[in-house]
Amino acid sequence: MEQQVTRRQWLAFLVKALGTVLAFAYGIPVLAMVIVPAFRKQKSPWIKVGEIKEFPAGEPKAVTLSYQRRDGWVIRTVRSTVYVVNGTDGSLKVLSNICTHASCAVRWEASKSAFYCPCHVAYFDADGKVIQGPPPRPLVQYPYKVEGGSLYVRLDNV
Amino acid sequence: MLRKLLDWLERETGVISAWGRFWAQPLPQGVGWWHIFGALTLITLVILFLTGGALMFYYSPTPDQAYASVQYIEHYLPAGQFIRALHYWAARLIVLLVIIHIVRVFLWGAYKRPRQMIWVSGVLLLLVVIGFGLTGYALPWDQKAYWGTVVRLKIAEGIPLIGPSVAAFLRGGDTVGAVTLMRFFVLHVFVLPALVFLLTAWHVIQVRRLGVTPPGVQVTEEASVPHTQMLYPDHTARIAVGALILSVLLIGLSLRFPAPLEPRANPLDTAYKPHPDFYVLWMHELVNLFPPHLEFVGSFVLPTILLLLLLVVPFVERNPERQPRKRLKALSAGTLVLLAIVALNVKGMEALPQPERLSPLEQRGQQIFVELKCYSCHGINGGGGPVGPDLGLGGKRDPEMVRALLRNPSAHNAHTIMPAYQLPREQEDALVAYIVSIGPNSKMPPIPPTEPEKPASHFEENWFVNHKFEVRKDPGSCSDCHKPFFCQACHQNRRPSSHDAQWLKFHFGNAAERPEMCATCHSPDYCETCHKVMRHDTQWLRQHGAKLNELGDKMRWSGETMRQLCSHCHTPQSCQNCHGVPMPHPEGWDEKHAQVGHQNPALCQRCHNFQSDTCQTCHQMRPSSHTEDFRKEHPRRITDSGASCQVCHGRNACMDCHKVPMPHPPDFGESHAKLGQQRGWKGYTGVKKLQAAQCATCHDVKYCNQCHQP
Repeated sequence: MEQQVTRRQWLAFLVKALGTVLAFAYGIPVLAMVIVPAFRKQKSPWIKVGEIKEFPAGEPKAVTLSYQRRDGWVIRTVRSTVYVVNGTDGSLKVLSNICTHASCAVRWEASKSAFYCPCHVAYFDADGKVIQGPPPRPLVQYPYKVEGGSLYVRLDNV
Repeated sequence: MLRKLLDWLERETGVISAWGRFWAQPLPQGVGWWHIFGALTLITLVILFLTGGALMFYYSPTPDQAYASVQYIEHYLPAGQFIRALHYWAARLIVLLVIIHIVRVFLWGAYKRPRQMIWVSGVLLLLVVIGFGLTGYALPWDQKAYWGTVVRLKIAEGIPLIGPSVAAFLRGGDTVGAVTLMRFFVLHVFVLPALVFLLTAWHVIQVRRLGVTPPGVQVTEEASVPHTQMLYPDHTARIAVGALILSVLLIGLSLRFPAPLEPRANPLDTAYKPHPDFYVLWMHELVNLFPPHLEFVGSFVLPTILLLLLLVVPFVERNPERQPRKRLKALSAGTLVLLAIVALNVKGMEALPQPERLSPLEQRGQQIFVELKCYSCHGINGGGGPVGPDLGLGGKRDPEMVRALLRNPSAHNAHTIMPAYQLPREQEDALVAYIVSIGPNSKMPPIPPTEPEKPASHFEENWFVNHKFEVRKDPGSCSDCHKPFFCQACHQNRRPSSHDAQWLKFHFGNAAERPEMCATCHSPDYCETCHKVMRHDTQWLRQHGAKLNELGDKMRWSGETMRQLCSHCHTPQSCQNCHGVPMPHPEGWDEKHAQVGHQNPALCQRCHNFQSDTCQTCHQMRPSSHTEDFRKEHPRRITDSGASCQVCHGRNACMDCHKVPMPHPPDFGESHAKLGQQRGWKGYTGVKKLQAAQCATCHDVKYCNQCHQP
């Protein structure tokens, strides 16, 4: 009788141990698949804007970018416009063309040397700073890099 | 704390003691290892439920996204491939487990009184498991899924009376498509799980109520069998060990053989041959036994009879014995049916294509086939692009023919769009060997996903025909992924429809307005092939003659010489508009040109420098007009005939000899003295010098004295 109880205890332990092992063997991959991707930060890719020599110093130039954005398994072709401002002092900026006030598209007015937003008559200077009008913030600047003579931009906070 | 919580739960609901009572079931003597398959089936069902749930987090049941979402699961998710493989292999194992379980129950006679309804629910569960298999099959929306579903719905349609309605219900429309996929999805994740849950609960609760059948005991003597063991832990230990073995098998299979994913479903790809899964193979064979008009006997009547037989087994076989040797009739009948099914399955498996066995050289060729992206045009029994012929068709190929075709496809067919491949010898040999090895049973090798992925538009029907519209809409989106070479590969022999006979005349406007259109297919130096010699800028005016003479008949574009190309825009008249004379100079021009030259020497001078070889070749001889007294006579001749010295002697003909403007300009009388001063000759000696050097050529001193009194 003594031995019987010991055997049963051992079997109970075996069942619990194997049960736990199997629960982990199946549970961990399942949870990993469901949970982990939600916390993966997707870095937006570097998008080629053009050759650096295409942007003359002084005059901001609008470039329409066309790139693929991945939303899970859906891949869409997205387009957005940026202004490349190649300063006469050698500084380079890549500005969004979206007004920070009501998200209208701004355009460069060469006659006024300013970005003009037609929605509420706002002006930004070539650095994107507000000159006049309601926008609360300067135009968004995108991080960029120059590699092998080409300008790349990362549209991070679109 | 936990104990208190559990006690409270027990007081309120009683679930804790119910849980304890469930596991504390006494089992009769003789229940052993053979009795674990029911529980293993249940465990596999739980695994399927778990993995299926995880897959559902990411699966999208629409034709344009289903395949992409499965690819996403396979390639982008942690453990995604493993989970899908688990689901795939568990779905196959559960069929085996159910069959083993049924056979075991049959051999042990466990379906007999009072457990008939447990058997019936078990048979229904078998049906549901097959239903899971049939619906889950369609979900990845790859070639196999699509064509398998099409074939099965066709078979279902062949059943008289109910067939068309059943097929129409499952299809949800005229063709297998979005509605069908959604129906199969809902059946797979909602309807069938609900059924399986209800039936399993019924099945298990009934087993719990009536107890496990004691082996080898007559129906009437069950009560006398001692119950020497408990479900927990005695039998659960066996189940746990069984589950461990099952899991090792399942996980091993899943890690070693990931779930297959064929190319994306292509409804136009009629070259594809779907092959049934092993557990329905016998049914397909059964269907094949009958002529087409009696197909439904194999697809419906016989399986239905078999199902009904299975369902009524416990009510027909009323023999109370459970010892196998006392139930020979039932056992032999059962064995017969089982053997028939196994035999049909074996026959079906023989008909299945043998997996390809490639030699190392052919394997290398297969790699090159994938690297060169041959699959984007050619299928191998389906799966490839719709452009080129499917390589699985067309019988055995001659290696030398294949080699010649690879090197120069247009030698075989002048209008082919296949690009020529000049491969290193080693690669060419391998590729040729692989292509020759492709037969009716070959399969498309797995194609690695490329980044960025093909957008959904590329899977639209008729994409190949319609891509030009997309190109026109947004040429930039093509050049994001494709190099100009990609377009040229096909279009070198087939110009786009826009490039018609009038194209050359109008292309400048398109190129100026939308240069990105040209850049989609043409590399930047493409324009230069013509335009570096023929750009209509200021340089062009000066150079076009020379360039035309040099290259006009040599340089060709699209089969036409440069001279012919000019005529696309310019009429012959347009040359004359500027040149004033027919261009290029017509036959017999040598005789005529003197007249034109005499009348308007400037016309000639537009192109010809009289000092150049062109004139000097003929005119180096002193012409007959230049008689002995020509020096003296020529002023009169010039005045009389209007002939021009400049035709031959150049623009500065007079100046070259006279050193002063000839004929003297009107104010020369006043200004001629200044001439001497300009040359630095002053005073009387200066006048003398000027006279000697310049004026004396024509005038003697008396001529001066007419005005200057000595």
